Amino acid sequence: MSSIEKVLDKYSSKVYKNRKKHILEKTDGDQEIAADVRTVPGVMTNRGCCYAGCKGVVLSPIKDAAVITHGPIGCGFYTWGTRRHKARKDEDTKSFLEYCFSTDMQEADIVFGGEKKLRQAIKETVEIFDPATIVICSTCPVGLIGDDIHAIASEAEKLYGRKVMAFSCEGYKGVSQSGGHHIASNGLIKHVIGTGDRTPKKFAVNILGEYNIGGDGWEITRILKRIGYDIVCSLPGDGSYVEIKSAHVADLNLVQCHRSINYVAEMMKEQYGTAWLKVNFIGIESTIESLRNMAKFFDDPDLTAKTEEIIADEVAAIMDDIGYYKTKLKGKTAALFVGGSRSHHYQKLLNDLGMETILAGYEFGHRDDYEGREVIPTIKQDGDSKNIESIKVEKVPDKYKVFLSEDRYEKLKEEIGLEYYGGMVKEMNNGSVIVDDLNHFETEEFLKMLKPDVFFSGIKDKFVAQKGGTLSRQLHSYDYSGPYAGFNGAVNFARDVTMGIYTPAWGFVKAPWKVEPTLEGQVVGGEV
Amino acid sequence: MNKHLVNLTTNPCKMCMPMGVITAFYGINKCMSILHGSQGCSTYIRRHMATHYNEPVDIASSSLTEHGTVYGGEKNLIAGIENLIKLYNPEVIGVATTCLAETIGEDISHIIKNFYEKHPESTVKLIPVPSGGYMGTQYEGFFRALYGIVTHIEMDQEPNGKVNIITGQLSPADTRYLKALLSAFEIDYILLPDLSDNLDGGHFEKYSRLPKGGTPLQDISKMAGAKATIELSTFTDESYSPGKYLNEKFGVSYIRLDLPVGLRSMDALVKALSKVSGKPVPNTIKEERARYLDAMIDSHKYNAEGRAVVFGEPDFVYAVTRLCSENGIMPVVAATGTKCKGLKETLKKDIQDVADRLFIIEHITFDEADFEMIESYALRYRANLMIGSSDGRRIEEKHGIPLIRCAFPVHDRIGGQRIRMLGYEGGLLLLDTITNVLLMHKEGGFRKELYFKYYKGKNKEQNLKIGEPSPKDSSKIRELSLIIKLPVVREEEKELTLEDKKKTHPCFSCSSAHKYARIHLPIAPKCNISCNYCVRKFDCPNESRPGVTTQVLEPKEALERYIQVKKDVPNLTVVGIAGPGDALANFEKTKETLVLIKAYDKNVTFCLSTNGLMLPLYASELLDLGVSHVTVTINAVDPKIGAEIYKEVRYLGTTYRGEQAAAVLLSNQLAGLKYLADRGLVCKVNIVTLKGINDHHIEEVVKKVKALGASITNIMQMIPVKGSVFENIPLVSHKEIMALREKCGIHLEQMYHCKQCRADAIGLLDKDISMHYAVPEDKKEAELSPKGKTAIRFAVASKSGMLIDEHFGHAKTFYIYEYKDGKSVYIENRDVDKYCRGAEDCEEEQDKIEKIFKTIQDCQGVLAVRIGSSPEKKLIDKGISVFKTYDRIEKAVQEAAQKLL
Repeated sequence: MSSIEKVLDKYSSKVYKNRKKHILEKTDGDQEIAADVRTVPGVMTNRGCCYAGCKGVVLSPIKDAAVITHGPIGCGFYTWGTRRHKARKDEDTKSFLEYCFSTDMQEADIVFGGEKKLRQAIKETVEIFDPATIVICSTCPVGLIGDDIHAIASEAEKLYGRKVMAFSCEGYKGVSQSGGHHIASNGLIKHVIGTGDRTPKKFAVNILGEYNIGGDGWEITRILKRIGYDIVCSLPGDGSYVEIKSAHVADLNLVQCHRSINYVAEMMKEQYGTAWLKVNFIGIESTIESLRNMAKFFDDPDLTAKTEEIIADEVAAIMDDIGYYKTKLKGKTAALFVGGSRSHHYQKLLNDLGMETILAGYEFGHRDDYEGREVIPTIKQDGDSKNIESIKVEKVPDKYKVFLSEDRYEKLKEEIGLEYYGGMVKEMNNGSVIVDDLNHFETEEFLKMLKPDVFFSGIKDKFVAQKGGTLSRQLHSYDYSGPYAGFNGAVNFARDVTMGIYTPAWGFVKAPWKVEPTLEGQVVGGEV
Repeated sequence: MNKHLVNLTTNPCKMCMPMGVITAFYGINKCMSILHGSQGCSTYIRRHMATHYNEPVDIASSSLTEHGTVYGGEKNLIAGIENLIKLYNPEVIGVATTCLAETIGEDISHIIKNFYEKHPESTVKLIPVPSGGYMGTQYEGFFRALYGIVTHIEMDQEPNGKVNIITGQLSPADTRYLKALLSAFEIDYILLPDLSDNLDGGHFEKYSRLPKGGTPLQDISKMAGAKATIELSTFTDESYSPGKYLNEKFGVSYIRLDLPVGLRSMDALVKALSKVSGKPVPNTIKEERARYLDAMIDSHKYNAEGRAVVFGEPDFVYAVTRLCSENGIMPVVAATGTKCKGLKETLKKDIQDVADRLFIIEHITFDEADFEMIESYALRYRANLMIGSSDGRRIEEKHGIPLIRCAFPVHDRIGGQRIRMLGYEGGLLLLDTITNVLLMHKEGGFRKELYFKYYKGKNKEQNLKIGEPSPKDSSKIRELSLIIKLPVVREEEKELTLEDKKKTHPCFSCSSAHKYARIHLPIAPKCNISCNYCVRKFDCPNESRPGVTTQVLEPKEALERYIQVKKDVPNLTVVGIAGPGDALANFEKTKETLVLIKAYDKNVTFCLSTNGLMLPLYASELLDLGVSHVTVTINAVDPKIGAEIYKEVRYLGTTYRGEQAAAVLLSNQLAGLKYLADRGLVCKVNIVTLKGINDHHIEEVVKKVKALGASITNIMQMIPVKGSVFENIPLVSHKEIMALREKCGIHLEQMYHCKQCRADAIGLLDKDISMHYAVPEDKKEAELSPKGKTAIRFAVASKSGMLIDEHFGHAKTFYIYEYKDGKSVYIENRDVDKYCRGAEDCEEEQDKIEKIFKTIQDCQGVLAVRIGSSPEKKLIDKGISVFKTYDRIEKAVQEAAQKLL
């Protein structure tokens, strides 16, 4: 029996049928995986909800927005500073990242409606905090009791002379946090992008889908600025409403996390003609490739020269460190289970360090994140995906601009994969295991069988791995470390993994009285 | 202070009910739990518990989707329970609802019944707990789960001599301590729940996905036959108290005790255990008590400096506050996020007792708290330590108040599962931690403090430092990092023209006040500090009179205005930048304006007023620009006092609060003042007198600034601004101000003629003509004509010049406003006395009212906060409408005009 069969064996026939489609062993040829469909109840999924994707992931990092959670207290509390998306504030930009605003709905509000309370909460937010913009995110009960948060938002917008946006991101919508990313993206397109008028400089880009966890975005920005790029906005990590307004003036959208933000990239292409490029700033080789692709896009001799100069300089600076860590990590194996893009991105970095990925999966990825964008037309729409609003956008003539000639565009599509993402599976070795929506039970079983040296995941599955004797590193919050992106990030990452694998603790797991026979020649102590 | 803000919870000090329910189920043997709702609830709670306990936390979800919310979630829940059983094989499953399930009205008891019908063979015990997130907090959820457990389990009433111990949310380590204590009394106990293993497991070769610890169901079923129940919770509602239930239903005797934290609460438990077991107190326990007592005595000499903030669940707050009070640590703030009406009353005696001992008047206990409120009280009552969960870390970071993390959740430190505070031993550990925090603070700073107090070096002022204090340690406030080296100008090199300079500036010399005119150019809208006597949206009430610059000018417009005014007022000698924000917070604008005007008129005298924050950075540029007079507002020279005056200071990209803010501001003010004075600039220092805050400290300020070279100080009254923190503090009377000026006059020359000018004032100090220049020349005619088509003129009774805050009959001055084209425009001030031709005859009340009538007879409306009925009638008879209101002038005038139109 293969490892996959062994794991599936424990399931009831119904669950077996369902889960089998989500798990595959990489072989040559096209392989289809089930993804972005309903979770099996009761199997301890690691997925979050729509609110988590919308409020927790995409909107929370926008530093100058005051995000009010409209609902009972729990959801607001649980998304209060838990994702380590960092932001800098300055003289002109307020930051509300350390704040949690909630309407704290009580039983009476559920019965009689919470609109009045929300109106008042907005008023108080304006009076006390005077934010650049206000964002309202609803939780489960709001959609059910019928509070019209959109009407309240537009009313408040007039009243207080600033943008007030509402997001109906009730937790039950969609099948994971992915639906929330889409809803948030729709709102940003509808209300924010295109409303600013900053004048771009040469080589103007946006960084989309970079969340600045542990300072990743800062490392990326540092490199891009050294080369001479004008970063119009970072959406959303360390981003601000004021900057995002002008996103449409950029020449190119860089898409770091395809899963969460491709909506914005695609809609901006329609509306403003902005081309997008999938990049990956995790890993040394992939950072270099991304930088070179960007230079090809702009096709400017000075920029290209500068790009090469910076790459050489940055690589020289980290060579010694990376060389040392490689000797420690070469041949080690890894399993990856993270969101919707990191499980792919980090494989590149692991490769740089001589490590192999033997299992990988996404929590909420779609089929295109596994198999590449070419499968998008074949993805079946189901009831759940239809429940997430998909908006139609049109060309905005006065703000539409095309940077590339048609020929060049077609050429770059081939050459640098412009507006394309090939997905994770193609780049994995034959025999490795790919699991969508890995749950607690499967995690434990696969770790037991595949015995990777490190399991990269999140806090919820971290302790399962560790109790079973496998090193865990968190790729959501980086265990309070970071940044891991770019050149310097690679060194941080290599250091953290080395430190984990070589910690003295693992050497003490087996107690001496268990390995040394006692006088009677028996092993005592028993299992606990 | 934010209590009226019931609609916006800012930084919650509580979690939702399912969190408590799940935690309680973790204390049951072979138990899993499932949340009926969307899967985010399970995920979030797992994430929070795992981080705190550093253990796997597994909570299943029925993963409801939109489909389930429409057609009901029964299918999902049953499938979820089936899968849970298949994969984990538990004996008990806690089935809890969420906001979603409760809102769509799911009946989980019924669904459970259907499950058993579908699976008659199942031996798994399913326990339903309704727990919508809006039905209460995690504190209530915890006991509701325990109540659900005892009420859903078939009880064996056979007397068994056991003792039931029911607890709230204890840490696993505290639970282990409690179990050892019970064993020491040889008590045969049933502990509900027992979190000791499942949330603090060891590392073994094999990992079991079903937690093995916790209280088995068969033990729980014997609770009805126990001889007694001891329930350790102060505030749990009896309607869902398991102890009460067992007592009423099965006659098990029942006592309620507080969490055994601190000496007295632990004594009560020990006494009860001795009684229920019939055994004397074991020697080990007696020794433990003796050690705790010894520790209390050892640390008492440091504890009196403690001003603690205790926050968290009601039982925790009660227990820890009592531990503080019995150790002479003042709990200045005791707050719970949960609704708990009894907290204040129950703690009153304890807190009052320590407050009386330490002569502390101000402290507060409250429920339904959020961290915004906790923060404001912590600052107001000068807390120096906080005890609670890691959610207090933002306050710790912002204000340097150390936080002792000893309640759920702890997210930024390791070891949440091993927090100890129970019993004599735990109390001792917590007490040591508290005392050590106080000692750390003291050791970190007292030498420096003494040095500054008793051993000031001669040239101390030359080493004034600016920069960022360490955010973690407020004691380091005075040790500011970045040193600006200020070259000292030698005395003889200084141009000896100070007196000359003063003479030509109206604000700096009384005699020139009537001869030389000045123009204030309102070009600086931004401010970088936030004073408690100020509301930012109304401009700075200190540097300008509140809210009454009619427009902010661009540098070019400022030049135009200067040229215009100079034409009409030839004795215009002084150009000042006084706001409406801070001149240096808008340095580019200030610079541009000065350059433009200097190019036009090289004889002009420049002055500017500032809060001083950016002075060290721009001082040399100010010299280059030819600024000769600078006014710095320095309200305190002690960061402790400054901390009460300044809400926040934004300096080089960082926002400081509290003492740090005051310290940063102060060092920059002093460094800048010294620098400028050394270079021969005329420096005036404005001091706003705030009763009860700095009024006793003003002489200190004057002495200090004199030493640094200020040539005159202007001690002035605070103008109360509605909505500001100091809105309601009592005003210092004019008499008191005069007395202060006289007293300080011994040290330094005082300004007796201050008019607290508008930011756009023009003319002589006592004759402001700025309104004539309010609009550009071409539009002026139409605007200025009071008889314009739709212009309506109003007389406004105001003390502050900003709000309608004066009684009609008490007004000595009326502010005349005009409403035209949808705007309210200030025209002028009219002193009632000046309009009275025979001042001597005006002593009678009646005459005074007559005087007022004369003053305002050309107005169509009067706005005042109140007015006597007879004057009102008279006004109406004269065709003048009366509006009684308390509001901003501009707004009220607009509203009144709307009514008249």
